Amino acid sequence: MIELSAIENDALIEIFNIGVGRAAAAMSSIVKEEVIMSVPAISFESRTQAALMLSENESQRICGIRQHYAGAFNTEAILMFPEDKSLEIVRLMVGDAVSLEELGEMEQEAMSEIGNIILNSCMGILANIFERELQGSLPSYHVGTSAQILAEGERIFPMDATVLMLHINFHIVKYQINGYVAFLLDVAALENLQSHLGRYTGRFAGTP
Amino acid sequence: MRSVKVGAMVLDSEQRLVLWNHWVEQHSRQISLKVGETFTNVFPDMANGRTHAAIREGLSNNFPSLISQTLNNSPFPFYGSALDASNDHRIQQAVQVIPFEVDGMSRHCLIQITDVSKVVLREKLLRDQSVMLKTMSYTDGLTGIANRRHFDQRIDEELARARRSKTPLSLLLIDIDFFKPYNDLYGHVQGDQCLREVADALRSSLKRPADLVARYGGEEFVIVLPDTSQEGAHHLAEAARVTVEMRQIAHEGSIVTPHVTVSIGLATCSPDDANGVRRLIELADLGLYEAKKAGRNRTALARQKPQG
Repeated sequence: MIELSAIENDALIEIFNIGVGRAAAAMSSIVKEEVIMSVPAISFESRTQAALMLSENESQRICGIRQHYAGAFNTEAILMFPEDKSLEIVRLMVGDAVSLEELGEMEQEAMSEIGNIILNSCMGILANIFERELQGSLPSYHVGTSAQILAEGERIFPMDATVLMLHINFHIVKYQINGYVAFLLDVAALENLQSHLGRYTGRFAGTP
Repeated sequence: MRSVKVGAMVLDSEQRLVLWNHWVEQHSRQISLKVGETFTNVFPDMANGRTHAAIREGLSNNFPSLISQTLNNSPFPFYGSALDASNDHRIQQAVQVIPFEVDGMSRHCLIQITDVSKVVLREKLLRDQSVMLKTMSYTDGLTGIANRRHFDQRIDEELARARRSKTPLSLLLIDIDFFKPYNDLYGHVQGDQCLREVADALRSSLKRPADLVARYGGEEFVIVLPDTSQEGAHHLAEAARVTVEMRQIAHEGSIVTPHVTVSIGLATCSPDDANGVRRLIELADLGLYEAKKAGRNRTALARQKPQG
């Protein structure tokens, strides 16, 4: 598993905070309410550990919006919320009280858009800082257990792939909602991440 | 391309219109589409909006965007008919902005617009039906008040709420006196009418919106009284009992009065009480037994507080 120095870890958190800050601005203008988003912590996990972070029990269903990014490195990015939290977001943003099973095509599309904004912002800032170009896919919406949702993309990412987990705090009106973004990273992505982070932090530290 | 039911437009890297399909031509109505015109010149109202930002970002960072009808409410001024256009009744739309590379040129982007009006309408119908079904499944068909299922769900919620807010919760279990003789004497059709009348009387005796009256089963009813002490609940129970009596529904088979009356068992869960829902109902049931034993047409508590 990847080991980041404290400085590299802080730099990555800072980068993602800039990303979600942009996403929050975009979401604020859509819902015409103040949306504040922050990334308080990141961690590197195995798929199994990542799945456990999302749900207290194995059968709990969550909602996931996934996008694939390819190019200089490959990553499968997934925004995930525990069931009750994603319902709160839908209720706050769409203004409807529905259960996860009842989410119609239109609400699913709205959730996909929210995922699209957040994931594109996070990957956008990352690609920008790494001076790399990536192609993104359109978002797709999934409901299932966290293990099921994280198990997708198995063809590209082996089961022991590293997952970069972002904890995301959402504040919409007076509500606070916690979610996660998972990045399934291939080996090239991990190496890229570490070397670019080294260069990025080096730039500020004044060391080569 | 004429038969495609999706709108498609292509912009170059400078956000200039390169091409569009028949659907766009057909639905854009008053807008004049010209090759080489910039997006903001063609759609001035959309400048710096969500779609415009998605185009800008897609062209610069190569990421596609999804713009949903639900969150964006028909961004393009596209109309199904001239009448719709004069009423500004736009086609409901799902928009995708997809950047793509063109050989020998800088990046372009495709804007795809799907008409989702029918889906929106269908989902609204489904939602309305689901609300109606939900209402029906929580209502007792005979009396029109809440049914047992509704009660079971509410009592759990109210008990949890009472614990959180450290307030008392009271429960009344109500039974029509001599209902079997009533049925035998007047027949089941009249018996049903009696149940409806009593349900209506009980409902009308409650004034607070949070109080719930439900049919518990047969000739038994239950009233949930959130944030109500034993004393307050006793007062409300007596009011409910008197309201039923005052309806003066004739009952020749009753040995209490010549009218339909009810007996009420009362139980209260105080904030420091660890008793669950089952215990609360048991206590109300014991109270009801006491009320029956003491001569009916009255309210009673469980005599002693047996260990739960």
